[in-house]
Amino acid sequence: MKGYRKYFGKKLAWFLITLVVAVILNFVLPRLMPADPVSAITGKMAQGMTDASAVQEIYKRYEAEFGTNKPMIEQFFIFVKNLFRGDLGTSFSQYPRKVSNIISSAIGWTIALQLPAIIVGWLLGNLLGALAAYIRKGFDKVLLPISLFLSNVPAFGMAVTLLVLFAVNWKIAPIGGGYAFDMIPNFSWRFVKSVISHYQLPFWSIVLVSIGGQAVGMRSMSIYELNADYVKYARFLGIKDRKIVGYVFRNAMLPQVTGLALSIGTMIGGALVAEIIFSYPGLGSTMYSAVTAADYPLISATTLIITIMVLIVTFVLDIVYGFIDPRVKAAQFDA
Amino acid sequence: MSKTMLEVKGLTTKYVTRFREDVYAVDHVSLKIEQGKSLGIAGESGCGKSTLALSLMGYYFPPLHYMSGDIIIDGKNISGMNPDDVRKNVLGTEIAYIPQAAMNALNPTRKIHKFIEDVILAHDPKANKKEIYEMAKGRFQELGLPLEALDKHAVELSGGMKQRVVIAISTILKPKVLIADEPSSALDVTSQKMVIKMLRDMMDKGFIQAMIFITHELPLLYNVTDDIMVMYAGQIVERGSAKQMVFDPVHPYSRGLMNSILVPEEGTRDAKLTAIPGTPPNLKRPPAGCRFAERCRYAKPACFYNQMPVLEFEDGRTYRCGMTVDELREIYRKEDAEAEQAPAASEGDGPVRLTKGV
Amino acid sequence: MKNTLRQVFHSSKFLVGFIIFVAILLTMFIYPLINPGNPLEMIGVGTFARPGTYVSLYDAAKTPTETLRLADADDKRLAKQLSDEDRVAMVEWFSATGVDIEGLDISDTDALLELWRANYDPAVKPKGMTQAKRNYYKRLDAAIKEVGAADTLIIADTGEGGALEKQGAITKTDYVNVGQVANVKILPLGTDNFGRDVLKELVSAAGTSIVIGLLAGLVATLIGLSLGLLSGYVGGICDDIIMFITNIFTVIPGFVLLILISYSIGQEQRGAAVVALVIGLTSWTWTCRSVRSQVISLRNRDHVNLSKLSGHSLFRIILTDILPYIASYVVMAFILQVSSGILAEAQLSLLGLGPKTTEVPTLGLMMNWAMLYSAHTNGSWWAYFPVILTITLISFSLNLMNTGLDQVFNPTLRD
Repeated sequence: MKGYRKYFGKKLAWFLITLVVAVILNFVLPRLMPADPVSAITGKMAQGMTDASAVQEIYKRYEAEFGTNKPMIEQFFIFVKNLFRGDLGTSFSQYPRKVSNIISSAIGWTIALQLPAIIVGWLLGNLLGALAAYIRKGFDKVLLPISLFLSNVPAFGMAVTLLVLFAVNWKIAPIGGGYAFDMIPNFSWRFVKSVISHYQLPFWSIVLVSIGGQAVGMRSMSIYELNADYVKYARFLGIKDRKIVGYVFRNAMLPQVTGLALSIGTMIGGALVAEIIFSYPGLGSTMYSAVTAADYPLISATTLIITIMVLIVTFVLDIVYGFIDPRVKAAQFDA
Repeated sequence: MSKTMLEVKGLTTKYVTRFREDVYAVDHVSLKIEQGKSLGIAGESGCGKSTLALSLMGYYFPPLHYMSGDIIIDGKNISGMNPDDVRKNVLGTEIAYIPQAAMNALNPTRKIHKFIEDVILAHDPKANKKEIYEMAKGRFQELGLPLEALDKHAVELSGGMKQRVVIAISTILKPKVLIADEPSSALDVTSQKMVIKMLRDMMDKGFIQAMIFITHELPLLYNVTDDIMVMYAGQIVERGSAKQMVFDPVHPYSRGLMNSILVPEEGTRDAKLTAIPGTPPNLKRPPAGCRFAERCRYAKPACFYNQMPVLEFEDGRTYRCGMTVDELREIYRKEDAEAEQAPAASEGDGPVRLTKGV
Repeated sequence: MKNTLRQVFHSSKFLVGFIIFVAILLTMFIYPLINPGNPLEMIGVGTFARPGTYVSLYDAAKTPTETLRLADADDKRLAKQLSDEDRVAMVEWFSATGVDIEGLDISDTDALLELWRANYDPAVKPKGMTQAKRNYYKRLDAAIKEVGAADTLIIADTGEGGALEKQGAITKTDYVNVGQVANVKILPLGTDNFGRDVLKELVSAAGTSIVIGLLAGLVATLIGLSLGLLSGYVGGICDDIIMFITNIFTVIPGFVLLILISYSIGQEQRGAAVVALVIGLTSWTWTCRSVRSQVISLRNRDHVNLSKLSGHSLFRIILTDILPYIASYVVMAFILQVSSGILAEAQLSLLGLGPKTTEVPTLGLMMNWAMLYSAHTNGSWWAYFPVILTITLISFSLNLMNTGLDQVFNPTLRD
């Protein structure tokens, strides 16, 4: 238990350090912009205005709102203070809506879509990979190239393909959105049904893309484990093959948890772009509209929220991994 | 007259390579071990000694295939049995195995007592888990192993401890014959001693009835086993008591093997140190005649064409050669006499091959 | 070295990947020679012209004709003219007037027309059918009859007095040889929303994307390799600092940094090379980690110690005693970096943060344009599907090569 507590403490410290660095980067990077964001935005807002003093007025208002007239360090502390209060500023494109308000209405959609999709894709991929490693022969010969090919279809490509096939050509799924456009979110059966039918395509496109990569990884991991000495020894002790396959599957699966932790950032990135294709009302679409409208506070907030989400998922996976794999505990004793 | 625990008659097994070539790694091997006795098997890397160990279990999976021969354990012939029968009623109970790489022999993510449970349940599905745990505890106590080890994962144990735990697990069902395949090669000297002592204890306490000990470290065999058998290219070339084999080897290969041992005695530095020149034959295409002929410096032309007979001499010792015992001993006597006259002359031209590990 | 290469090319996976990749590269070089010109030139005025062969109608009319009497010409003409809606309407009329339509297939033009000619009667007024609908049927019937009738198209020009003057006539049996028509344009993949030749654009875009990928991969590999070597070989505080940074940037998702940096740079400064640089800058951590662990396992090998004892410089030891041993890993990491760089560019462009749009097309930009103009919902598959396929094939071939190399250099994975 002592080893585990040490492990937990170390991971927690890393989580906090990374979080601080992420927040700093999120603050600093946009401020390294060569052009003054405020004047760029003012230019946009003041289009068609001829009154110079009015333009000046707008500029001053935004300068005050951003605090760009203050020194960098002071700005940073205001930024952090606001962050703690959950205040992420005001959106430009949806003025005067608060950014936190936009984010909170989008984040639920993203989590509800991506978390199950990535988990299902991971499980299915591992299952297929283990099967391919165990059966080998023809099954493997067919499955491996397909998995390799699938894992190389970009998430947005899979999304477009599914969308065109199922929604445009065969018309068995809605074209996009989180629910039918003529509805107002509520808890009626009709609304839930609409949400579920809109959920299918984005969900499966993410699942399909993640299956391939996981299957390929799991296959080589399982082949490696099947050739391990403990498999031979267990066989010669008379243990049944089925039990041994259980050992192999478990031991090959555990590193896949770390693999998931390492690739979750990339996976979420791909899935966010897939959201755009389906106009799914999540963070991906929010970011897209923010970029299109040059809505600077919204971009900054979305990236921060996504980073924090990824950090939390990675942290949780690390902790879970430490629990289920005794090898981690042993490594802690060694260290 | 004691009981015969293991008798092997003409056992032949082969490997099938990726390119569908047959490699007869064990070729008509016969041997016999009596109750309470131990047999050492020595040979260079790749001579088939480890394959022999696997073949003796009577349980084959690719790339190893059974061809012919009988394996009789305590009067029961296991070579004709179906695989699942062998798995359930022979492995672990009649014959057990300690693998070469015991460091990695245990599933790293399974607790030791859970693994013992798996082993016992595989043979007796109705066994009570609590009783198994008590039994394992008792056995660990008897063998002087720390009881905490039972509740640990393999990764948490040290190298020497892992090896001893593996021995305890292999013998948990009191097998009649134990095959130890280089159980101590990867260990430091202290752990090595402990393992050897433990294996001896096993015999003394009656957890096992007979033992086969495979190694390339010949001095070890002299200390551990009653008899020694030397293998070359899938065949047995000589068998005798440990003492005879070390001090009076008859087959040219055995002699070469014994001569290449480094013994930390006075004068070793100056004494001749012979390595056997050449490499073992390719078993995909074994030579027609004596398999050692190419490397044998006493070989006559006939050796290259004729299959060598297995000859028996002096109280049951056997060897496989075209020459008689007297002929060979005469040659050796002359050689030793010559060597004494020119002690500094080195005859070997290669490195000391036999002291290197697998 | 030679032996290793032979082994590599014996791996079927590597070979397949290599062939696909080389085929793509060759297309990149050869196609512009066959079909030169600016890939961003807008040749079409409308959007999304279908793939196919385009014949200039003007030139065709001026090309000398041959008379061919083909028996099925009228039927084919009708089959092309009758739209799906017309066919459905005809069936509606049949059922409204009680005509037996058992087993009728509306794509079978002959059967449909035969039934129509036998049964249509403009005088019949089916119950509940509006006047407008009945007029529609009359027009349809007239059109069908017209195709069957012999008639001529007059080509006229505005004469001196402003009145039309007949220049020539085209009859239904006039044919021209396509080879003799002055202007024939083949658009194998049609045009995109701006009226650009999609195939030409695609070839150019794939080239740019591969260059971006290579550049990004090079930057990432160079940074990862040098930091990994430094961290692994020098160790100590150097290792601690580098690993601290690497660990942080492994967890912070690279694409978030990518978005932030790309956005901060601004539209104007964002050329293809800059985008490639930014991608490389945000994706080196993985290479750094694997190089470091490789170097650590090499650090205390005999040959390295020997070099150290011989007083060789750090640079020389790394160059001669370390690099050759990790070369295969570095190459594999580079291949993966290239493939993920191409993907990163595509995703960035889809977000609207790709390279500046006026200079060069990239695969991501093409995808972005197709999506902006709803090619996927209006059935213009040629504008986006070849793009997806190209990205997939490039990344598939690179990954196949990587897997093949992995099997050669990691024998436990070999099957």
